[in-house]
Amino acid sequence: MALLPENFSFARKGLPLVAIAGLVIAALFIWSGLPDRQLEEPERDPPRATGALANSARVAGAGVVEPSSETISVGTALAGLVTDLRVQPGDFVTRGQPLFVVDTRAIRSRVEESGAAVGEARAAIQEAQAAIAEARSAESTAGRQLALYREVDDPAAVSRAEVIRAEGEASAARQRRELAQARLSAAQARLRSAEAQVGSARTELGRATVRAPISGEILAVNIRPGEYLSTSAGGNSQSFIEMGETRPLHIRIDVDEEQAPRVALGEPAIVSPRGAAERQVKASFVRAEPQIVPKRSLTNSAAERVDVRVLQLIYQLPDSDGTFRVGQQVDAFIPAKDGKTPQASRAEAAR
Amino acid sequence: MLWIAIRMLTGDKQKFYGLVFGIAFSTLLITQQLTIFVNLIERGASGVYNVPSADVWVMDEVSRTTDVNFPMPSTALDKVRAVPGVEWAVPHLRAGASVRTSNGDLEGVSVIGVDDATLIGLPRRMAQGSTDVLSTPDSVIIDDVGTTRMFENGQSPIGERLELNDQRAVIRGVADAVPSFTSQVTLYTKYSRALNYVPGTRNRMSFVLAGASDGIAPEALTQAIEEQTGLRARTRDQFAQDGVDFIIQNTGIPLNFGITVLLGFIVGVAIVGLTFSLFIRDNVKQFGALKAIGVTNRKIRGMVASQAGLVGLIGYGLGVIGTVLFIWGFSSNPTFKGFYIPWQVPLISLAAVALILLFTGWLALRNVLKTEPAAVFR
Amino acid sequence: MTADPHPAPSQNDAAIATRGVTRDFKAGQRNITVLHGIDLDIRAGELTYLVGESGSGKTTLISIMCGILWPTEGKVEVFGTDIYALSDTELVEFRLQNIGFIFQQYNLIPSIDAASNAAVPLIAQGMPRLEARERAIAMMEKLNIGDQIDKLPSQLSGGQQQRVAIARALVHEPRLVVCDEPTAALDAGSGRRVMDLLRQVAVAEDRACIIVTHDNRVFDLADRILVLEDGEITHDGTEMPEDH
Repeated sequence: MALLPENFSFARKGLPLVAIAGLVIAALFIWSGLPDRQLEEPERDPPRATGALANSARVAGAGVVEPSSETISVGTALAGLVTDLRVQPGDFVTRGQPLFVVDTRAIRSRVEESGAAVGEARAAIQEAQAAIAEARSAESTAGRQLALYREVDDPAAVSRAEVIRAEGEASAARQRRELAQARLSAAQARLRSAEAQVGSARTELGRATVRAPISGEILAVNIRPGEYLSTSAGGNSQSFIEMGETRPLHIRIDVDEEQAPRVALGEPAIVSPRGAAERQVKASFVRAEPQIVPKRSLTNSAAERVDVRVLQLIYQLPDSDGTFRVGQQVDAFIPAKDGKTPQASRAEAAR
Repeated sequence: MLWIAIRMLTGDKQKFYGLVFGIAFSTLLITQQLTIFVNLIERGASGVYNVPSADVWVMDEVSRTTDVNFPMPSTALDKVRAVPGVEWAVPHLRAGASVRTSNGDLEGVSVIGVDDATLIGLPRRMAQGSTDVLSTPDSVIIDDVGTTRMFENGQSPIGERLELNDQRAVIRGVADAVPSFTSQVTLYTKYSRALNYVPGTRNRMSFVLAGASDGIAPEALTQAIEEQTGLRARTRDQFAQDGVDFIIQNTGIPLNFGITVLLGFIVGVAIVGLTFSLFIRDNVKQFGALKAIGVTNRKIRGMVASQAGLVGLIGYGLGVIGTVLFIWGFSSNPTFKGFYIPWQVPLISLAAVALILLFTGWLALRNVLKTEPAAVFR
Repeated sequence: MTADPHPAPSQNDAAIATRGVTRDFKAGQRNITVLHGIDLDIRAGELTYLVGESGSGKTTLISIMCGILWPTEGKVEVFGTDIYALSDTELVEFRLQNIGFIFQQYNLIPSIDAASNAAVPLIAQGMPRLEARERAIAMMEKLNIGDQIDKLPSQLSGGQQQRVAIARALVHEPRLVVCDEPTAALDAGSGRRVMDLLRQVAVAEDRACIIVTHDNRVFDLADRILVLEDGEITHDGTEMPEDH
């Protein structure tokens, strides 16, 4: 207690000091302990309407980026193994450029087979032509001999038998010629048939190579060499190659049917990709789908049930390097026709 | 004279400490109980205050609080976004679910789905990990009080697997959040994932959180939203108040705490009043002598007031510091997580102490003032 | 007694002048009259004893004379001031400036030391505490208790306590000193010593000193003895009457 002044009174000086110190500490504690309920700006930018739309009538919608040609699922005409894959996702292709080839070995052998038949037919033609020539020369020889015998009026000089023999030879030679001619036309017919078969096999060979139906970008390649493709692929199975015209891109915006009448069709929309709300672009109006459809939900839930119908609006995105990709979700703000709220217009209609 | 008054007061140690104790006890009882009361009913608003960035909460017309809500169709989000003055709007899901922990226990949890892109809806701070963990598949963030409920013995929850609605969920972070009234375990995850974790109904979106444009008052915005969308919109403070009101209306807490606070007041009046009266009665002869010598009633009042003031200062100071120590001592206890002393509470107890002293001082003074100076000669 | 039963008090020689002072007390339904029209002049420079049996009204009379009890009728002038014509506050202030009190039970404040107790009137007048204490210590030295200044009343003997009380009564140089049975609680020796001291210190040219007592051991110290019986002055002289 030597620290304290001699006549230090605990009750009169100590306690009030303790109390005041306690109050100061308590005040600090209370002040510093008050919960921080300050509103703060979100850390990551949420999508927001900017510019003229910020404080005027507008309609908001969510949408998905798609190619301007819509997505084309490229199929195959022939079933078979993939032997050659010519494109990768992201490639830009021109119309008619080969995309992939299914197994052509069987077709090629048919081409060869029918080519052989053509050769054979050609050989038969040549053979027939040779026979014709030979028969013709025999015929003319026999004819000349017969004429010679006819000019000899001396029956004794030429025996009747000789004449008959010569007549027989002449007709035999003629018949041989006719036969050879018939063989020639048959061979020609065979040649045409074989040639037709070659053509058909060649066509088949062409069908085994799948080509780009339009110029555009390859979006997805779901096949690999060696896989078997079936022509009957349908339903839920994946498409082999997806492609579409991505220059420019379009977006398909769903607008709640309740809000649909308010949309100012033809006005450009402000669009930003999910998660990058600060990268807004202006998209120009393309068209509105004529049909109101059930909202396609993007929640991945298998048990999704829908009762909301939406108007789909198509807008064209300006060129942007990589901000937007096909299939990406976007948030969009579209100007509304007038400042009237649905409730207000309803009230007006009631009046 | 005040010096004499203080000397007189502290000269009688027993009564002095009795008075100080009475005031300190009353202050402690009133302050501490009011603090707990306020904090307890503010638990009803914790869901609102845990979201630091939303100016306005939009909900179905029948929704009442963060926990008593009726979900809306997903296009409600676009409706809200279409309202002029809405700077931004994001979906928010709050629903109950049952979770199976890795050791097979069943625990009721509330699942909160926050906006996928911006993560608006998460609490301000994380206790462990960062909010980025939600980008990894199947990850959820648990709240810190929920951790203590679900994982005993201080086991770290990070990396624990849970089963939610037949789906896998991995805890990858701990959020620093104020627990709800029921201290239910809360799991935060992205909105799209929360849809899978919560057994499905047709409509799933519980709330739309909206921010007001610069220069637009949240109150005005709620009106605009209600007019244009037909949904119910509440500002953050209104909705917090709704949560508090819900607890007040549906529990007996206000009555119970009210009774305790009243008891504190009565005990204070009883102890202090009795002791003060006894003290004054003991000194009535001295006061009489002083009056005879020539001390005016005003000075006597001043003396008694200074005595009451000293007792009040010391008792009140000790009582408040007691409350502070209580709150500080229990601050690490999950039950008291986020408890604070609202600055109004010490002022209320100060008023109560002043009232007690005024009342008892007046009672005691009546004796003195009634004393005829002539009584000293008898 | 002249035709005027209550002659006007003379300004010059009377420190206290009471004229027709009557006092009634209510006891249930009855009115008890304690004083019956007291006319009295107390002179300054004298030690005046007021003697009487219990219930004779001497305490009532002295209370009225020093301004702490209102008379039912009559008038009291203290050094020319009609004290009951003053307002309450003025009367309290008048007492504080002009009157020193000595009580039978001393009525010292138990929790402050002797010097501070003695300094109370000065403090009440608004003098800074330490200066008042200095003056009180000087007064206590006069009273031969200069060595007791730091003690609490409970650490002092009765005689010492009464001396502290005397110091308190005199410290602010009052013109009237009123003592109520100052020796009643003391043994004979210390009572006498206190009374001696009081006579030495309190009696002065312009100061009146009234002592209520029935302590016959100290009657010889009085300059003037007044005897009160049933509310009336029955004796006024320098000695006690023989029959007492």
